[in-house]
Amino acid sequence: MGALTRAVRNVSRRKMRALLVIIALGFSMAIMISIPAGIVANQEATQTLATNFNSTMTNMQLEINKTSTLIECRTSSGSGFSPSGQPDRPGFGSQQSEVFENETIIEEILSIEGVKDVVPYLEKASNETTTEIITGPGGREFTITRSIYTIEGVCLNSKFIHDYSILPTNMTSGRNLREGDSGVVLLSSNLTSYYGMKVNESVDINGEPFIVIGVYEPSGQARMQMRVAIMNLSEAQTVTGLTGKVSRLDVYANSTSYVDEIADVIKAAYTNLTVTTYKDRLQNLENMQTMYTQTVSNAQTTLSQTQSLATQEILIAVAATSLIVLFVMLYTVRERTKEIGTLKAIGFSGWNVMSQFVLEGILISFIAGVVGIAIGSVGAPFLSSLLLPHVSLFGGSQSDRFRPSGLGTTGIAESQATTAATLDPQLILLAFGASILLGALGSLYPAWRASRIRPAEAMRYE
Amino acid sequence: MSETILKTEKLIKIYSMGKRKVSALSGVDLNVNKGEFIAIMGPSGSGKTTLLNVLGCLDTPTSGTMILNAKDVTKLPEKKLCEIRRQDIGFIFQTFNLLPYLSAVENVELPMESTNRPKDERRKRARELLGTVGLSGREEHRPHRLSAGEQQRVAIARALANDPALILADEPTGNLDTENKYEIVRLLGRLNIDRGTTIVMVTHDSQVASHTERILYLNDGRITREKQGTHLMKKKLMCPHCGSKIQLSDARCPSCRKRL
Repeated sequence: MGALTRAVRNVSRRKMRALLVIIALGFSMAIMISIPAGIVANQEATQTLATNFNSTMTNMQLEINKTSTLIECRTSSGSGFSPSGQPDRPGFGSQQSEVFENETIIEEILSIEGVKDVVPYLEKASNETTTEIITGPGGREFTITRSIYTIEGVCLNSKFIHDYSILPTNMTSGRNLREGDSGVVLLSSNLTSYYGMKVNESVDINGEPFIVIGVYEPSGQARMQMRVAIMNLSEAQTVTGLTGKVSRLDVYANSTSYVDEIADVIKAAYTNLTVTTYKDRLQNLENMQTMYTQTVSNAQTTLSQTQSLATQEILIAVAATSLIVLFVMLYTVRERTKEIGTLKAIGFSGWNVMSQFVLEGILISFIAGVVGIAIGSVGAPFLSSLLLPHVSLFGGSQSDRFRPSGLGTTGIAESQATTAATLDPQLILLAFGASILLGALGSLYPAWRASRIRPAEAMRYE
Repeated sequence: MSETILKTEKLIKIYSMGKRKVSALSGVDLNVNKGEFIAIMGPSGSGKTTLLNVLGCLDTPTSGTMILNAKDVTKLPEKKLCEIRRQDIGFIFQTFNLLPYLSAVENVELPMESTNRPKDERRKRARELLGTVGLSGREEHRPHRLSAGEQQRVAIARALANDPALILADEPTGNLDTENKYEIVRLLGRLNIDRGTTIVMVTHDSQVASHTERILYLNDGRITREKQGTHLMKKKLMCPHCGSKIQLSDARCPSCRKRL
């Protein structure tokens, strides 16, 4: 018959009281586990985001440097954002906001002094959209709505193919498009996996049969890649019902000295076109950099505020729990004064009595620790999102303006991040230890008081 | 000459109640010999329980001296008093004071916990003691499943656990019906004769007190008179009423049928 057995029996015979302390301590411990887990998840997400931003910026800078003579002229077509409107061909609606230019514009622009070449494109997103959940940095999840695929028509001219890299280079199977190709389509690997297609298989695009000639790996971050079908420009025009239309023109100047002049002429003559030059792209890149730096900085500020709030919340939880344990144990000591007197009368020392009560406190906190781990394991994501402010890591959708050319467009229609808090075993052990320590500390004073009770007084207590 | 187990001289206990001083014991001189069974009687407020608390080292006297088992315990610190309570004294309380969450045998084992006895030996002795007080077969019962008389028997077994030099009983029959009252007194008497246990019992029941060897009357914190009880005759296996031969186990005298 040891002190531990007595402690177990005492705890079990006062079930409601023990339950109260166990719940209080358990929740406190769950908070201790959940909050740091949430903070770590947010820290990792912020860190990954910052790293990705830097790498994206560097790549963009390199890309822009390579295209100093390029003047990009776009209509407002080809977007993957929630398509609507009356389709003129099934599957490819002519959106109200979409504007396409006639091919005749190519000759007009070529006649401008200093223009070397004009490379036309037709980009058209399918009407069908899909909502997908993708996992981002730090385990964050996003819900995005985008077109299932984008048709991209390119002018299969051997000079353009050779001089301006209008086709993707990273082929995974089959072959690339070449001059004179007809009735064939080049698909991005994510589109073939979406539809389960293979090279040399026949596909039907809006009633027109095509052979899959090759598959390429799209560039950029895997989770953000678009599904693209690249084909001959004239066939793209037929399939989309946009005969003689283009959505984008890459105008190449003879030298950088002509770029501004050409851009000004195009801007003045064709108001439907959005014209961007090397300088605009650099300016946009700087804007993006500022925006992303601000986003990361905001996230870091929120994170540091979160850490301070989390510390306060943990301290409050610890203090509240200690007080609960303290008062419950004080009440227990008061209730068991006569028992304490009896124990002392039959030879128990003050130390024996004190250790008995501390042991009971530790026992309760041990059980509470187990309960807390269970609550924390199940409810950590919920608790951390409930107790911590949301760390916003994406201020808006990412611009796709400076992607490597020829890959269509897409956008993040909706972006919602949730923190996936993962529990660290070390954290669990630490919180478990803290729970036991709290139980011991909370019962220390009541136990000390119990040990100081004079036996004669305790015996008189009713 | 009998060996003195407990001796007090001019024992005084004064309680401070704010500015007021209340004298609970006003110079108690007491001599208890080894193997004696004595009763202390007195009206309410005469200082009986205070005297028992001081004798049991649960409280310290304001002045005077107390020698227990040849040790002066008057000025000992609490730690030493605790050892003395464990080794030399056994307590029996009016309200039994058993721990409700322990079985009978665990309650008896409790005082032995702080000794060096091995666990098995403690359990064995606790069972033997429960047998001695007539509770064989009830060892695993918790207090709420025992009658008042049985609970007091468990308390008596617990008091005997560490084989103390002195047993102090505070109104041990106060919460019992007549039948159980005499059963408990007879049990205490038998333990005194069989085991030579020295017993000091506080009671306000003269019938119960008469079954002891010596009755001390306490009044206003002083022992005012002393009287012989019937226990001495029983020790000689004689009926204190008619002088006939009796057995220790007899509840009534076989000749005169009077309660023993």
